[in-house]
Amino acid sequence: MSDSVLYTEGLTVRFGGLTAVNNVTLDCSRGELTGLIGPNGAGKTTFVDAVTGFLPGNSSGSVQIEGTEVFGRSAHLLAHAGLSRTWQTLELFDDISVRSNLDVASRVLTVRGAVRDFFRASERDDRVEEILELLGLADIANRQPVELSQGQRKLVGVGRALVASSTKILLLDEPAAGLDRTETAWFGEQLRGLVDEGYTMLLIDHDMGLVLNVCDRIHMLVFGELVTSGTPEEMRGNPDVIAAYLGHSGDSSNG
Amino acid sequence: MAPVADIAVHDRPVAERIALVCLVVVGVLWAFGALVDSAVFFQPILFGLGTGAIIAAIALGLVVAYRASGVINFGHGAIATYITYIYVSLTDTGHYPIPPIPNPLAPIEGIFGVEILDIPTMIGTGGPMAKGWAAAIALLTAALLGLLAHYAVFRPLRYAPVLAKVVASVGVMLFLQAAVVLRFGARAKSADPIFPNGPVDFLGVRINQDRFWLLGTVALLTLALWLLFRYTRFGIATRASAENERFTTLLGFNADYQAGMSWVLSTVLAGAMGILVAPVTGVTPNLFTVLLISSLAAALLGKMSSFVIAAATGMALGIIDQQLFRIEFEFAWLPDIGIRRALPFVAVALVMVIRGEALPSRGAVLLGRLPAAVAPLITRWRLAAYSLLVTLAFLVSVFAPFQYRGAMVNSMVGVILALSFVVVTGYLGQISLMQMALAGIGAFAVGSFGTAAGMPMLIAMPLAVACGVGFGLVVALPSLRTRGASLAVISLASGLAIEEIFFRRAGWFGLDRTMKHSDPPEIFGIEFGPNSSFILSDGKIPTGGFGVFVLVLTVSSCVGVMRLRRSRLGEQMLAVRANESAAAAAGVNVSAIKLAAFGIGSFFAALGGVLTAYKLGIYSGAQFGIFASLGALAFAYLGGISTVGGAITAGTLFTGGIGIVVSNEWFIDMGSYSAYVAGLFLIVTAVYNNEGIDGFQRTQFHTVVNWWRARRGLGPLDPMAVVGVEER
Repeated sequence: MSDSVLYTEGLTVRFGGLTAVNNVTLDCSRGELTGLIGPNGAGKTTFVDAVTGFLPGNSSGSVQIEGTEVFGRSAHLLAHAGLSRTWQTLELFDDISVRSNLDVASRVLTVRGAVRDFFRASERDDRVEEILELLGLADIANRQPVELSQGQRKLVGVGRALVASSTKILLLDEPAAGLDRTETAWFGEQLRGLVDEGYTMLLIDHDMGLVLNVCDRIHMLVFGELVTSGTPEEMRGNPDVIAAYLGHSGDSSNG
Repeated sequence: MAPVADIAVHDRPVAERIALVCLVVVGVLWAFGALVDSAVFFQPILFGLGTGAIIAAIALGLVVAYRASGVINFGHGAIATYITYIYVSLTDTGHYPIPPIPNPLAPIEGIFGVEILDIPTMIGTGGPMAKGWAAAIALLTAALLGLLAHYAVFRPLRYAPVLAKVVASVGVMLFLQAAVVLRFGARAKSADPIFPNGPVDFLGVRINQDRFWLLGTVALLTLALWLLFRYTRFGIATRASAENERFTTLLGFNADYQAGMSWVLSTVLAGAMGILVAPVTGVTPNLFTVLLISSLAAALLGKMSSFVIAAATGMALGIIDQQLFRIEFEFAWLPDIGIRRALPFVAVALVMVIRGEALPSRGAVLLGRLPAAVAPLITRWRLAAYSLLVTLAFLVSVFAPFQYRGAMVNSMVGVILALSFVVVTGYLGQISLMQMALAGIGAFAVGSFGTAAGMPMLIAMPLAVACGVGFGLVVALPSLRTRGASLAVISLASGLAIEEIFFRRAGWFGLDRTMKHSDPPEIFGIEFGPNSSFILSDGKIPTGGFGVFVLVLTVSSCVGVMRLRRSRLGEQMLAVRANESAAAAAGVNVSAIKLAAFGIGSFFAALGGVLTAYKLGIYSGAQFGIFASLGALAFAYLGGISTVGGAITAGTLFTGGIGIVVSNEWFIDMGSYSAYVAGLFLIVTAVYNNEGIDGFQRTQFHTVVNWWRARRGLGPLDPMAVVGVEER
C-alpha cells in the first residue's frame, strides 16, 4: 500500500435494487499498468464512473489518491486531485481543435488565470505541445476531432487525459474498442511505452489479448464483484477467468 | 448523453422534501381560509376554472407535441391564437384571413406602376358564418398547420440539437403572432358564447356555468388522450417511436406518420381549446403565449408525458392565480410586490427544483452539430477589413444624415445585445430567452442611479450593468441543474416575472406612470447624449458625439468577445457546450464556467440596456418584455449565434437598425412586416442553416476563394487555415 496511487476500498454502486459494483477493493501501484477485465456488463465502466465522481448519488465506499481520501468530491476536483480518464465513447470536444481539446485539460483555470489569459495573447502551452508530439498528433493539432480517423480520435482522448500536469493516474475505459488486431497491438505498445516512462494507468478492457500482453497486474470483475486478481501469467490459466469469458463447463477446472 | 451526465443531482431528495413541505403549508393555509369563510375559499377555485382550463388544455397540447417529436413547442400558444382568430373572424364577418405572401411580381409592378397580381388579405364568404362551419374550417386549418409544422419544420430537425428545435419553435411563435397582428391588429377580440353561460349558484358563489363546461371538456380530453396513448395501437406506437424510432420502424410502423398525426392532434387540440375559451376570456394576439408559460410548468411537472398531471397542474395554477388575485384584493394593505405576476415563474422554478433534469429524451443516435464557434485568424487582410468597418461606422455615426445616424446607433446597441447571446448560446450552448429583461434591468437601474439618485455616469453606468449581471447570475443558478429546453423555459418564465414585477409597476424602480427617465450620459461635465448640443451636431438627434460614445463601447465589446473566444475561458465554455461530463472529467469546473458565461452574457445585455436608456431618454417596460427577448434571439440567431461576425450582422437587422433603414429608404419598406419576416427567416435558419447569415457568407466566401485558386492551378484552401480555429 505504501506506493499505491489509486486505492479503492469497498466501492459499491447501486441503481435502485441493482448492485452494479459490489464492494470492490482495488489497488493501482505507481508506475504500473493495472488491468481491469470482465465480460460485458460486469460493471467495469460503472466502476470508473464511480471512481471519477460521476455517480455521486449511487456510490459508496472509499477512494484514495496517494493515501488521501477523495471519495465524494465532484468530478472536476477529482481531476485536479490527479484522476484522469478516457471514455469508451471518446466524448471529445467536437467543436474545438485537437490542440484546444488538450488546452482545456492542461491546467486548472483560476479566476486570476482566466483574466490574465484574456488580456495577454495566450501563448502555446509547452506541455500541450509535448503531448501532441509524443502521440504523433502535432500535424493535425489544428484539425477538429470530427475530421480525424477513429484511431486518431482515440489518441486525442488519451492525450487529453495525459496532458494535465496534475495527473497521477490514467483510467482508460476500453481504449481499444473498435480497433482491429494490428491497431490494438500497436496501441498496446504505445500504452506500455507511456508506462515505462513513469505513468500509472488503469486499463479497462474486455480484450483479453491486449490486457494480458501489456498489464503488470490484472483484476477481474464479474457481475460487479472482484472475483480474482493476479499477474498476466496467473490469469492466463485461471479457471475463473476462463469460466467468465467462455461460460462454465463441468470439468473445465479439472482439465 | 451518457448516464453519467448529471453531476449535480445528488441533492434532489432534499429539494423534493422542501417542495413537499411548501405544498403542505399552502394546503394548511388554504384549509384554514376555508374554515373562516367558505365563499372566500371557493370563489377563487370556481373563478380560476376558466384560466385553469386553458392552461391545462395548452399543457395537454404541449405534451402531445413533445411525445410526437421531442419538441417543447414554444409556438403552441401562438397556434391556438391563430386558429382562434380565424374562427372569430369567420363568425364575425365571414372573412378567412390569408397570411401575408410576398408578391413575386412586385418589382415589375413597381417599375411600371401597375398592379398585376393582387393577393387578397382576406377571403370573404358572404356574411357571418355559423359557429359549426366556422369551427370546422378553423380546425381544418389547424390540422394543415400541424402537418406543415411537422413536415416543414420539426421533421427536418429530428436529429438536430435542442437549440435548433427551440429556436424553430420560437420562430413559429413569432411568425404566427405577427400574422395575427398583421391581419387583425393588436386589439382584443371577443366571441359569442358556445357553452351555456347563464349564472348558477354553487356553494354560495354565483358563477357563470360555462366554467363548469370548460372543466368538463378538459377532463374529458385528458381522459381521451390518456386512453389514446395508453391503449390504442396508434398511441402505443407513438410512445414506442419516441423511445426508439429505429426499432419501431423495424416493427413496421411509420414513425414519421405517427409523429405527423400527433402534430395534427396537438394543433387541432390547441385550436379547439382556443375556440372554446375565446368566449370566456376574449382573445389577444399574445394571450395564449403568456399563458403558455404556466402550461409549460404544468407539462414539465408531468415530465412532458403525463396528461393527467399536466391537466391537473394546469387547473391548479389557474386556481392559485385567482386565489392570489383575491388575496391582493382583500388585503390591499399588503406591500404590492407583484407575486401574482410571478406565479408562472414560481411554478416553473419549483417544478425544476423537483424534477431536475428528468425530462425523457428521445433515443436519437446521431445528433446534428451546433453552429461552429469560429475564431478567425487575425491576418493583415482581416485587420484591414475590421479597420475599414470601424471607420465606416464612425463616418456614418458622425457625418451621415440623422436617420442613418439613428439607425447606426440602433444597430450598434443591437450588436452589443447580440453579443450577449453569442456568449450564452453560441459559446456555452445554453438557451436564454430573457436577455432583454436583463437589458431592462440595466436600463431601469441607470435611470434610478443616474437620474433619480443623481450619481455621475462613471458610477451609475457600471452600477447599472452590475445590477444586470447580478440578476443574470441569480437566474442562471437553475442552469447548474438543468440545460437545453428546460433552461429555455425557466429563462422565459424569469423574463416574464422580471417584466411584470419590475417594469410594469411603479413599486421597484419608482416609475412615473410605468415610464422611466434617464438623463444623457456625461463625463466631467461634458454631455454626449443623443440630443446634447456637444460637438458633431447638426441640430438633429442623435448627435455624432453620442454615436462615437456608442461606437467605442461596441468596438470594445466585439474585441472583448473575440478575445474571450480565444482565451482559455472561452475554450472551456466550448468544451462545456460540447460535453459537460467530459469537461468535468478534464478538470473543468462546469458550474463556474456556466456562471461565468451567464455573467458575461448578462454584462453585455445590461450594457445594451443602459445604452438603450441613454438613447431613448424616456422608456417603458415594453422595450424589455419577453417578446422583445424572443425577437432579439431571432435577430441574433439569424445573424449567426456563435460568432462576433454574426452579432455584427444581427445588429444591422435589429429593429430600426442600419440594414432595415437602408432597405426601407432604398428598396422596400418592410414596416410592419418585419416581425413576420423575422419569424419566417428564423424558422428557415434554424431548419436549413443553423450558422446564420454570417456562417452562410463564410462558406460562400470559401467557395469563391477555392474556385479562384482552382483557376490559378492552386489546391483548395485548407478549410482550417481559413477558419483559423488556431491562432496560437
